[in-house]
Amino acid sequence: QTKQITGTVTSADDGMGMPGVSVVIKGTTVGASTDIDGKYMLEAKASDVLLFSFVGMVSQEIPIGNQTVINVVMVTESIGVDEVIVTALGIKRSKKALGYSVQEVKSDELTKTGTPDLAKALQGKVSGIDIKLSSGMPGASSQIVIRGSRSFTGNNTPLYVVDGMPIASTAAFSTGNSVTGADISNRALDLNPNDIESINVLKGQAAAALYGLRASNGVVIITTKSGKGGKKGKPIISLNQTTSFDIVSRTPDYQKVWSQGNAGVYGPTTSLSWGAKINELPNDPTYGGNGNGHEGMYKVPQLEEGGLDPWVTPKVFNNWDDYYETGYTSTTGINVSQATEKGNFSIGIGYTEQEGIALSTGMERWNAKAAAESKLNENFTVGFSANYAKTEVDKLSGANDASLAGVLSAPSSYNLKGYPYHVVGDPYSQIYYRSLTFDNPYWLAHNNTFNEKTDRFFGNAFVTFETALAADLDFRIKYQLGIDSYTTHYQDIFGFGSKGKSGSINNYGVTDQTYNSLITASFDWKINDDLQFTAILGNELNHNETKTYDQFGQEFNFGGWNHIDNANTVTASEAQYKDRTFGLFSSLSLSWKNMIFLNMTGRNDVASSMPRDNRSFFYPSVSLGFVASELEFVKSINWITFAKIRGSYAEVGQAGTFLENYYTKPNYGGGFWTDEPITYPLDGVNTYIPNNDLYDPNLKPQNTKSYEVGINLKFVNNRFGVDYTYSRQNVKDQIFNIPLAGSTGAGSLTANGGEVHTNGHEVVLYITPIVTSDFTWNVNINYSKIDNVVDKLATGVESIFLGGFTTPQVRAGIGDTYPVIYGSQYKKNELGQILVNEDPNASDYGMPMSGEPGVIGSISPDFIVGASTNFIYKNWSLGATFEWKEGGQMYSGSNGLLDLYGMSKRTEDRESTFIFEGYKADGSKNDIARGGPGDPNATQVLFSDVLTNIDEYYIHGNSFIKLRELSLKYNFPKTIIPKVDLTLSGFVRNILLWTELDNFDPESSQGNNNMAGGFERFSLPQTTSFGFSVDVKF
Amino acid sequence: CSEDLMDDINKNVNDPANVASNLIITDVMTNSAFSVTGSDLAFYSSVYIEHNVGSFNQMYNAEIRSNEPTSSTTYNNSWNSIYQNLLNLQDIIVKCSEGGSEEGNFYNLGIAQILSAYNLAILTDAMGDVPWSEALQPGVIFTPVIDKQEAIYTDIFSFLDDAIANLNKESTFPYLGNQDFIYGGDEASIDNWIKFAYGLKARYTMRMSMKSPNYDDVITFANNSFADASEQAQFDYNGTSSKSPFQQFFLDRDYFGASTSLHNKLTARNDPRDAIFFKPYDEGGTLEFAPNGAPSQEQGKYGISAISSITAPTYLMSYHEIEFLKAEAYARKNDLVNAKIALEAGIVAAFAKTNIDISEADAMDYYTDEVEPVLLDQATTLKEIMVQKYLAFFEEEAFEAYNDIRRLRAMGNNFIQLDNPLNSTKFPLRFTYGSEDVTTNVNVRDAYGDGSYVYTENVWWAGGSR
Repeated sequence: QTKQITGTVTSADDGMGMPGVSVVIKGTTVGASTDIDGKYMLEAKASDVLLFSFVGMVSQEIPIGNQTVINVVMVTESIGVDEVIVTALGIKRSKKALGYSVQEVKSDELTKTGTPDLAKALQGKVSGIDIKLSSGMPGASSQIVIRGSRSFTGNNTPLYVVDGMPIASTAAFSTGNSVTGADISNRALDLNPNDIESINVLKGQAAAALYGLRASNGVVIITTKSGKGGKKGKPIISLNQTTSFDIVSRTPDYQKVWSQGNAGVYGPTTSLSWGAKINELPNDPTYGGNGNGHEGMYKVPQLEEGGLDPWVTPKVFNNWDDYYETGYTSTTGINVSQATEKGNFSIGIGYTEQEGIALSTGMERWNAKAAAESKLNENFTVGFSANYAKTEVDKLSGANDASLAGVLSAPSSYNLKGYPYHVVGDPYSQIYYRSLTFDNPYWLAHNNTFNEKTDRFFGNAFVTFETALAADLDFRIKYQLGIDSYTTHYQDIFGFGSKGKSGSINNYGVTDQTYNSLITASFDWKINDDLQFTAILGNELNHNETKTYDQFGQEFNFGGWNHIDNANTVTASEAQYKDRTFGLFSSLSLSWKNMIFLNMTGRNDVASSMPRDNRSFFYPSVSLGFVASELEFVKSINWITFAKIRGSYAEVGQAGTFLENYYTKPNYGGGFWTDEPITYPLDGVNTYIPNNDLYDPNLKPQNTKSYEVGINLKFVNNRFGVDYTYSRQNVKDQIFNIPLAGSTGAGSLTANGGEVHTNGHEVVLYITPIVTSDFTWNVNINYSKIDNVVDKLATGVESIFLGGFTTPQVRAGIGDTYPVIYGSQYKKNELGQILVNEDPNASDYGMPMSGEPGVIGSISPDFIVGASTNFIYKNWSLGATFEWKEGGQMYSGSNGLLDLYGMSKRTEDRESTFIFEGYKADGSKNDIARGGPGDPNATQVLFSDVLTNIDEYYIHGNSFIKLRELSLKYNFPKTIIPKVDLTLSGFVRNILLWTELDNFDPESSQGNNNMAGGFERFSLPQTTSFGFSVDVKF
Repeated sequence: CSEDLMDDINKNVNDPANVASNLIITDVMTNSAFSVTGSDLAFYSSVYIEHNVGSFNQMYNAEIRSNEPTSSTTYNNSWNSIYQNLLNLQDIIVKCSEGGSEEGNFYNLGIAQILSAYNLAILTDAMGDVPWSEALQPGVIFTPVIDKQEAIYTDIFSFLDDAIANLNKESTFPYLGNQDFIYGGDEASIDNWIKFAYGLKARYTMRMSMKSPNYDDVITFANNSFADASEQAQFDYNGTSSKSPFQQFFLDRDYFGASTSLHNKLTARNDPRDAIFFKPYDEGGTLEFAPNGAPSQEQGKYGISAISSITAPTYLMSYHEIEFLKAEAYARKNDLVNAKIALEAGIVAAFAKTNIDISEADAMDYYTDEVEPVLLDQATTLKEIMVQKYLAFFEEEAFEAYNDIRRLRAMGNNFIQLDNPLNSTKFPLRFTYGSEDVTTNVNVRDAYGDGSYVYTENVWWAGGSR
């Protein structure tokens, strides 16, 4: 007996009714499909089971029983095997056919918590990649490194390709040693995550080999939103607004007992907090008020300078919490798209505004994009994609120029926020608690400027011709011309009065233009029912022109006009560079019975930046996928849905930059000098000396040979899936600036001379433990373990400097993982035990000593696990993303300096005796007690004089577990507001759950280059955010 | 895309592939004055010899003999600067020698040889045995071996002798003109360069006094050198595009306090320079002197040098040094009459330094009233000559004062009393090698060890073996 069953099928993604879902009585061909509103109706028996299926969604089986209304929520199949994805050079292939690892991230995963920075939005969502953030400053640089590093000093970040056009993603300028000045944003910042439809990460070289020279670091293929796939004939308008509030993620533990001063005596101008007890300040013989008419008070000379009553009662301040404000991030976007019979278009505008937690930091970004495609006739299709971005970032400086040094370490007795920061009547004479090695953070907010402004356009236009050459032979040719052009202007200004001097200004900038011409011809030949052959031939020409300028002015005449015309010494320079790569490539694919997929590629590149007659290189790749689940006997195993084994081999290279040796204008920055004490032309005279960096005329490209094997398994109707990949990369002939011994008279030689290898294990797990009509729970886990080891360096070279100070520094060294931290170590005995000084006359008696310098820390993590989970209940969905980074260390300058200054909680107990955990020369345990009433300054000597000179003391593990994202979303049912999709969500971001690192968020460091992530000194802290967003679509 | 087209695309339009020697030598002069003589080596020397007290950060560490004296990073910048100067000079010497593009340019050749001797001597005086015979071949020899100081000194004298010979030759090449920051590059400048070469010969002959004393030669060379301060090898700073190192170091770092032991030596002599050398940190404040060896690590507390100024010159070699060398040589020969004449001339010249500016009459009064009365015999005369030289070298010539102190100690002449109590075990007898060799050149790394050798091993001319 049959009855009428009705119901509505909706999508879990947006709560909308889903048209075209197939509803079939299991075991029969009887069924229906849903209408435009997702409704269906059919006749069935109570004993029947209904099978709901739709491409790309998880199929569901529901027994009818006594129900007459069956509503179903369809969930996107996280591991759809029939998905078509975009691979190298825009070639679309079935995911099933791939012989290498590719991972896709969809738009809704990226924009869940409204992060304006794409790299942050990807954290925890892809295996095999390490995303290094520099700080919580708006617009801060970040880096994506896929499967470890291949280059010591060069670029290790992937190629970004947006809608088929390779675009610049790295910073135009490196932060170099990263110990002065401000961070410099990388150009991936110009991408608006809201514009992105999906991201495919091509991790291995085999996946990327068609990009030739640029492929060695993997490729991030970005497809922006278009009108494709929408309902024909009706424009779709979508609006999005996200607002979040950002607070400093962590406050260090401060000591709250001791005042500014030295050796137990209050001193109002020292940077140290080794003074008297704060509550005893009124008894200070010089500054105390007891006995001279100011009972219970003490004198703060800075207040006098500021024209105020200098007598105050002792009080404890938390200058860190006082300083940081609540920042906010707001992103607003509007997009209009429409699909028509002959094509589609999409136009969008986005606006992002950020105000940082530190004074005068922020970002403003406008994005506009348009894309359209039109089928002219049955052969020709034309289209374009155009993107404009305008990005402005206001930053602060770090390390030796740290804007926040005083925020970090201001004495508890000093009210940094409350006391005046400049002399009465003279806004350029700072008042500060310490010498002006660093500026007062409140003064610099009004006087120093670190700013960058970028205007950027990128996009491409294409024409496609396709025709059938024969019944089984399709031919297609596509020509695409793209451009990526940007100009960035930077200003680094230390205002008049900065550091007690007359300031400086640095205006610099870059104009960078890349043209990319790409032609591809493809033949699809269906040889017979089982055998299919595809051949692609193509040519790519990539031409880049860069011009940079730099104007540097020192010593302003007067305050208030921070302009280069106000500077007394001005130097200027400019530089122009060009380079071109010309590539020919081919790809051949053969598939048999949807079971065996063979793919071979080859590409020959000619690169202008290499020496003559050494410019042409060939790179092959081969990959094989075997879908075991197509075998008859496997097909019969019900619980195995899909099984594939794959393997690939590839060689790709990386070109270097070769120049003839040349002469250059000498430079006198660095060392002890804040600016440049000598600048040429000097008294109208110029001079040139041989450039310190030399080039090897026999330079050849570095080569990465890699192989990977992997397995993809899916079980129980895709409820459970696992992808495992093992990869090995052997990098030979690394190009880098081989550091030369100072005694050679030169600094470095750009040559081939290093080997590294990486071993990578990546696991992706997909689990959907629960699916019912109302409730779905899925979990996605990404595990990556990448070992990156330096095997060989050029003769005579044992290490390479990547950044930092002379010590500590970040470097690459033979036999070490890449990169490591190098610096002075504790003096130790053969057993590795720390030795103490046994000279009773020494001030550091019973304390550790510094020994030979060596490797003191390793930056790379042991493994990274990212996990995301979604709970969907009716119109509600709750999502969370975790990230666990285990292992790896950093140089935490701020931690060490808190100790040096006597501001950390560790330094609070200064009255007890202590025995330093160490050993004596005879092997016995240290028993020398220091401190106590007879030895009052021992704690200061330990932290301020001894440990501060041992870099090893500053090394901290920085493992962490973070709740990256937590979001709760509600899709309003259509019944409430007809024809409008309305979604509201609330979220939190970057909740630090646990970390090994004391006092600070471990994801805060210096540098936008290969030293990133491992070296911190007064860096800007990370933020924790809370926000909400509204999405409307109609 | 042909190779020619690619070459054209890769052409370096930003830098010249070659320049003439006169455009190179200018920076060697600047670098030798500012980076080599004037900066880090002088700063650290001034702490070790108590011209200043290191009161903060690196200089404080040097003062308390913690880390800095033994670390290979401490003098790395100076190490690199010297070798880079020597490489640049080698480039000039090759260009101006037989077969070079400027063959017959004897002026630039001779000046380059003087500056080579000058840089090389500072290097070996500071660090002892150093890479030299295999140095300066970048990309060819990656790990130069270490040569003996004795052999290096032979080359230093050869450079100076060759320089004098070359500068005495006729050349069709033009003079350096305003590319010569030291002597102005006119015709007369050549004579001054020759005098500078003789002055250096006097200095380095005196340096050998423990190994092979030859005071007659010192006197002969000195007599061929500067006759007055207008001839001295002095590098001037304009205060805007070039800034005097000690003053700039104060402005950028502020790591020094006024030295108690220097102050005591001056007051013991009623020396008018005591009022000129020091000033309170804040105008109108009290002048507090920092205790040698145990200052409080504090900025803004102690008095500071009053003669640091943004235009104070760097002396590659001063006229007063010549007179003091002569005075010592005469005193060593027990010719006290001539020793006193030279000593007085040296004091007068030192008092006339631009940032001291005491008149000749006042200087002579000081000599008559305070100095001459203590010159009782050879020993007291010799001692006072050396103390006066030490005082005259404050503060720009600290490195040469450090050389003198090490030589005197080696010769058993502890004339200049140092008060840092840590000197009993931790007087730095030398400077460490540069870290860029310690990390990349195994020969230097082996010699460096953990750096503690600086407290135990003298350089060769001070009786050491390395």
